[in-house]
Amino acid sequence: MTADEFVEYAKTYGVEAAAKEVDVVTTGTFGAMCSSGVFLNFGHSDPPIKMHKCWLNDVPAYGNIAAVDVYLGATALSETRGLEYGGGHVIEDFVSGKEIELRGEGFVTDCYPRSYIETTITIDDLNQAILLNPRNVYQRYNAATNTTDRVLYTYMGTLLPHAENVNYSGSGQLNPLYKDKNFETIGIGTRIFLGGGVGYIIGEGTQHNPQNQFGTIMVRGNLKHMNPKYLKGATIHKYGVSLYVGVGIPIPLINMRVAESAALSDEEIFTDIVDYGVPSSKRPSLRKVSYAELKSGKVVLDDKTVPCSSLSSLKVAREIAETLKKWIEEGLFFLSKPVELLPDYMEFKPLRVRRYEPRVKDVMVTNIITAKVTDDVKVVAKLIVKHNIDHVPIVDDEGRLVGIVTSWDIAKAVAKDSRSLNEIMTKKVITASIGEPLDVVIKRLSDHKISGLPVVDESNRIIGMVTTDDLAKFLGSRRGKVPW
Amino acid sequence: MVKLRLIYNHKSLGKPILAEVILKTGIPMNILEATVSPISGEILVDIDAPREKIDNIISLLEDLGVNVKEITQILEIDVNRCTSCGACISPCPTHALTLNQDLTLNFDEKKCVRCGICVDACPMRAIRFAY
Repeated sequence: MTADEFVEYAKTYGVEAAAKEVDVVTTGTFGAMCSSGVFLNFGHSDPPIKMHKCWLNDVPAYGNIAAVDVYLGATALSETRGLEYGGGHVIEDFVSGKEIELRGEGFVTDCYPRSYIETTITIDDLNQAILLNPRNVYQRYNAATNTTDRVLYTYMGTLLPHAENVNYSGSGQLNPLYKDKNFETIGIGTRIFLGGGVGYIIGEGTQHNPQNQFGTIMVRGNLKHMNPKYLKGATIHKYGVSLYVGVGIPIPLINMRVAESAALSDEEIFTDIVDYGVPSSKRPSLRKVSYAELKSGKVVLDDKTVPCSSLSSLKVAREIAETLKKWIEEGLFFLSKPVELLPDYMEFKPLRVRRYEPRVKDVMVTNIITAKVTDDVKVVAKLIVKHNIDHVPIVDDEGRLVGIVTSWDIAKAVAKDSRSLNEIMTKKVITASIGEPLDVVIKRLSDHKISGLPVVDESNRIIGMVTTDDLAKFLGSRRGKVPW
Repeated sequence: MVKLRLIYNHKSLGKPILAEVILKTGIPMNILEATVSPISGEILVDIDAPREKIDNIISLLEDLGVNVKEITQILEIDVNRCTSCGACISPCPTHALTLNQDLTLNFDEKKCVRCGICVDACPMRAIRFAY
């Protein structure tokens, strides 16, 4: 039975009776799995080359693995087409049988006299094309929303401002790793459906975190036997490229614990709705939500109902579970016993940055010139000239920020013949706080197309000012540039 | 709901033609998009009115020198590329995209305001503007 069918069957007849009737439950998922890629072996040209740099359709692959082995990662970007084409698309094109442009550079040695190669290849020309994905099939995934006032383009899709929509990922009750959530049948050597062909689990995936139901698997399969229907290159708008991978795992119901896990329904599988408006790895959860509610297409957030949709395809996930069921029934696919089970506990640590990274307090100016809302425009104009500044924060009697005036606003006031600061100042001021990392502040300046941010404390009292001039010295070449 | 594409030539530019037609017919129109170049202009309007009134609007506009095209298709969805994932559904501000019972994608042309958020949101690049 597919997991969908088993859940219904167990609801009707009880898990115990259902487990007696059913031997194997098939599962499926089809979603963006960024941590994917292929090992390719090209064979040797004449004269041969030791490829330490390699491009496939202008997408860089990692050489430096002997002479003609490379690894192409799903998220590598085309050097000519940017976010519209990448490693995931090359993998799909290989599986579709398309011709791929291969370019390689090598350093000349007695063994490898060639320094440059340019040719076209298809999947049939390759000795090996092995899909090897370090982290696939999250057990579940956080759902995403956005409480800021601008549209966010995230790896969880397009998130409207003011939490007007929710996106989620994962197939819930069809999810392969939730159907044996304690990893009693899944392990190294488990034979699986992978990209339309047959593959194997070769270990726990990176960031495997089973104690929090964020387990993952590492998988391997022969790309030559896969199907482009279940391996699709994707562009996540303004985020990057990825690969949609289809995975299905058969779960043999070896004991009641596994049967109970396999019988878990969408109503019983929960995840968090997380605010992706917070640019930190510690994003707050707004509430818990079941996959049943997520799949209904509407989610209640505070007191409003907002549309909710998925990034992974439930339709294709169901097809995978059905296909795997058919393969097993027809004797085309045999279950395998794992040689070692996956760990049921694993530490998942963040990266600690040991070098000191400058924060707002390191670049802000503290001797700030402010004005009161009752001041005359001319007074502020004089301050700007006298102190050679561009921004004058406007504060109330307690020093709390109520607005900001720039030299541009003053010019506008002159043009309109206005004398009142209240008329010309910006009242909804974008601010920074003292401990924020500079990268976050730089992105905020650029998102809002402004050149200065007042720094405020918890009670909105102004304590400093950060401007693009002050930040300019940090914008050296060592910083990563956005590729679009 | 009927969507009309109004194409202005250099002669009709600069005249408040659409406003005149709205005042004359008393039918409110929703302007979805407007572009002007030195030699021509284009306005996309959405009108909720009975057929004969729409025909009246079209003939009034044409009398005033505007070329009118009725839009029957706003988006082209490549069903072979679409995986029914749903990435286009929740961002759509007018709820024009939904999933059918069989999980195929349903597009309600009438609700679409041609904002293009779905074109960008589609990971498979399966959605494009039809014109």
